[in-house]
Amino acid sequence: MSILQRLNDEMANVATVVQPGIVRVLTGQNGAGAGTVWHSDGLIITNAHVVGHGGALRVALPGGRVLPAQVIAHSRERDLAALAIEANGLPTIQPGNSSALQPGDWVMALGHPWGVMNAATSGIVINVGRDLPDMGSTAHNWVIASLHMRPGHSGGPLVNVNGQLVGVNTMITGPDVGIAVAVDEVKDFLKRTIGSTTPANMV
Amino acid sequence: MSEVLKSLSDDLAAAVATAGHSIVRIEGRRRSPASGIVWSADGMIVTAHHVVERDDNLKVGLPDGSTVSATLVGRDPSTDIALLRVQASGLTPATWINGADAKVGHLVMAVGRPGTQAQATLGIISAIDEGWRTPMGGMIDAYVQTDVVMYPGFSGGPLVGANGAFVGMNSSALMRGVSVTIPAATLTRVAGTLMAHGRVKRGYLGVSAQPVRLPAALAGSLNQETGLLLASVEAGSPAEQAGLMLGDTLISLAGHPVHQMDDLMAVLSGDRVGTSVPARIVRGGQVHEIAVTIGERS
Repeated sequence: MSILQRLNDEMANVATVVQPGIVRVLTGQNGAGAGTVWHSDGLIITNAHVVGHGGALRVALPGGRVLPAQVIAHSRERDLAALAIEANGLPTIQPGNSSALQPGDWVMALGHPWGVMNAATSGIVINVGRDLPDMGSTAHNWVIASLHMRPGHSGGPLVNVNGQLVGVNTMITGPDVGIAVAVDEVKDFLKRTIGSTTPANMV
Repeated sequence: MSEVLKSLSDDLAAAVATAGHSIVRIEGRRRSPASGIVWSADGMIVTAHHVVERDDNLKVGLPDGSTVSATLVGRDPSTDIALLRVQASGLTPATWINGADAKVGHLVMAVGRPGTQAQATLGIISAIDEGWRTPMGGMIDAYVQTDVVMYPGFSGGPLVGANGAFVGMNSSALMRGVSVTIPAATLTRVAGTLMAHGRVKRGYLGVSAQPVRLPAALAGSLNQETGLLLASVEAGSPAEQAGLMLGDTLISLAGHPVHQMDDLMAVLSGDRVGTSVPARIVRGGQVHEIAVTIGERS
């Protein structure tokens, strides 16, 4: 098999491994974004901007089940929200380390752009850090990637070659530049808000 | 689980790290900084002309994190190349890929240093073709187009091949909406001229013109379909001094037929500055020949 064929198989495999850990976050009648299963006992990470201002919030699992969801933590500054749903044994996406990412590293973003379920786009890391293009320095870490992220990717996972979560897709600064909240920020956010990165300590 | 993909990812990151040793930050404009390439170990830096908006108070951010002041050696707007010099030694000069080894379909990265670290975007070489002339009249030795994203501040940085060596210098100013790379051959030629003379001479006539179809009878006898109708002649310009007038149609200059503006640009090369050449024109339906002394574009 050629290197290119092996590469194709491996990229497809990353998508296959990650997809069961991606949910849809439904707000109101039509609003929807993506979410990433952080813990098998019903802890979902998404963007604060996907959750919006309350209202009836539901999470659609890959199998089709739709469950009511509650916001248990929220940070507009980091554009993160943690949701709880009554579920167990959910497939998760294993968290990686965004601090280990380097410019040039391959990454894949998944989500539901324009209602296309679990659509994947891949590219490489442009930069990791606090600087955002055209917005300057911020207080938080971001992964800036060269790929075709779209609004429906929001809240979905950005993963590395091993299918590990390295970021939560949050915004684009152009058709070819996608930005994700670095996964190390997600860990810090969960520790600060619910005191743990697992749902055992949820309050 | 992802053996090839992981190798690819690691190789790309390694190529960025290697390339980064020869990529600098250029602080020469009001908005965000851009990128430059270490041309020689003793401090010559090549970058894009359009990112160096001022002639002094220039700064260069070196790969080791330090920032040093730089002087402008020279610039050539026609090829969008500028050459700077920094007081530094032991820099890592760029390694260049032989132009013939770059092929359509190859994976390449645009790498820049608009901030402190090297940053990268990935794509493939979309097209390689023969040399072309920029709208400003500069000669680029080969046409290299890619689908890499030119991230803000990437202009002046290199297009990097799989091994971390450079294909050329990226500029987002030469063509709108297309990522083109200036090959090493052009950089070598222009940088050499800038080192020797501080500028690249360009010929100057002082006219604006547009292509027009020649009358059928003339087209037949001249064996030429189109010429350049002079739409304006600048006061005091070489064209005016030679007696060229608004409404003349230029059909050849220095013996070279001019069908379109590109042809005229090609004739107005630096080596013709100061020389007297014959201009064939159509005036009042008659062909005339007038001697013109080519000026130099300031």
